[in-house]
Amino acid sequence: MREGTCTGCGQTAPFGSFYKIADKLFCEPCSWKEERAAAERGEKLAKISVVDGSFCARCKTRAQDSGSADFPIFKGVPLCPDCCQQVQDWPYPVWLKASLAGLLILLAVALIHGRKYFHAGRVMYAGERLVNEGRYAQAVPLLKEADEIAPQSDNASLLLAKAALHIGDITTAQKALQSHAAGHFETSGRFEEVSALWNRATDAVEKANKASELVNQPDKAEEAESLMRQAAAEYPEVPQLAASIPYFEGSTAFYQHNYDRMLTIFEGLWKSAPSATTAGTLAGALSCKYAATGDQSFRTRSEEMLEKSRQLALGDKQAETDYQEYSERIKHRMDTREIIDKQEYDRRFRKSTDKN
Amino acid sequence: MFFIPGFVISLATFPGVIVHETAHLFFCKLFRLAVFNVCFIRVGNPAGYVIHESTDNFRAMFFVGMGPFFINTLLCVLFCTAAFLPVWELKIDDPLAYFFYWLGLSIGMHAFPSTVDLTHIWAMAPSLAKKGNLLAIISLPLVALLYVLNFARVVWADLGYGIAVGILGPIAIFKALARA
Repeated sequence: MREGTCTGCGQTAPFGSFYKIADKLFCEPCSWKEERAAAERGEKLAKISVVDGSFCARCKTRAQDSGSADFPIFKGVPLCPDCCQQVQDWPYPVWLKASLAGLLILLAVALIHGRKYFHAGRVMYAGERLVNEGRYAQAVPLLKEADEIAPQSDNASLLLAKAALHIGDITTAQKALQSHAAGHFETSGRFEEVSALWNRATDAVEKANKASELVNQPDKAEEAESLMRQAAAEYPEVPQLAASIPYFEGSTAFYQHNYDRMLTIFEGLWKSAPSATTAGTLAGALSCKYAATGDQSFRTRSEEMLEKSRQLALGDKQAETDYQEYSERIKHRMDTREIIDKQEYDRRFRKSTDKN
Repeated sequence: MFFIPGFVISLATFPGVIVHETAHLFFCKLFRLAVFNVCFIRVGNPAGYVIHESTDNFRAMFFVGMGPFFINTLLCVLFCTAAFLPVWELKIDDPLAYFFYWLGLSIGMHAFPSTVDLTHIWAMAPSLAKKGNLLAIISLPLVALLYVLNFARVVWADLGYGIAVGILGPIAIFKALARA
């Protein structure tokens, strides 16, 4: 390391710590004095930091060791040829390149490994968009896919439950809610919305079930009809509830012995939705009219409707079983002209299968 | 608010420090600035540094100074996107996903340029902005905001930024994909 001597105070110090003013060397305190003196004279001095080119600023190699007096000054810094090369194009370390390559490989692995998650996320967001647009039926299959992959996701389960409840699919909603962390959710606006919807749906279903239990009891038919009306009003998302009201009205009319009203209701049902069931209920109403009036035309029509019911039930096991049950009672009603309800018929003519 | 020594945070989130310094180095090389020394990670303050020549080229100074902000933010979004769905949305316990979320957040929380870098940009930007330099005009509010956020690091603004980018970025990407 080269040394120099201050022109002002005579102090000897490393060459690089000096300043050059008017071609003379000054240490830092003396350079300030010179500047102040010049300022008092109204002059401005050119003060330059002295660069000691006798050694490399980076690796501290002495210039004389490499056979030269001074290293070249690059960007104001004396550098040996190797360091000069390096600062102009600093290389990325090998470990950095290797780490970057490793990360990219891991990222590729994560993306491949996470394909099913991306799919689940995509269908969940698509389902959410459909739910927000009120297109619940279209949203359900998408959200089912998301919920199957991620049953612990609050969003997937709640969105599926919401969409399902809006189309009256309580079974799907129940499955989505119960398979998620044993039915536990973090409280959120969406959770509260689904919770309210769920409570409304289950309350309506309870009323509908109660109505179904009461409908065949002579003194409870009106109560059953009222409960079913409440259920249908409370949960209009299930059109079957509203659609079942005429059956309850017909049952009420039956127990009130108002067979004209019963006939009107079941004729309407048959016209609006011809099926084995509606044909059977109309046959039942006609058989009541025959039993009450003795008018043969009602019997003929009842028998025609029973035949239609039989034909429509063919191939549908449940419908065939139902047909067997009510056709027997209707024929008995027409043969005896005695109007009794199912409970009484069962009591008299059918062996109980109830073990109790 | 609790205090954790800076070197502990730097060590726990070391990939972010390395990416930050690599971004500085990348833009130095891109703009052909001489680089006198580089430290990618160390126990100390600062946790890493790149010593390069000063320049009068505002574009070079802007990108060298702000480089980590753009690169770290981009990589944070990328890595967090790979992990966002299983970790946040689908609640699936996948170790690889958690690793990527740590990596993404580590990188994201070291996105802020240092106040030294911002000061250099801030010193040149106003005069150039007056002359209509678009980059200088854009840089003014950005640098001002980052300057404030840099001070807010004592209240974990850097972690907050990482989390915000690591969550909002993937949400935006997946919602856009769902619309496609």
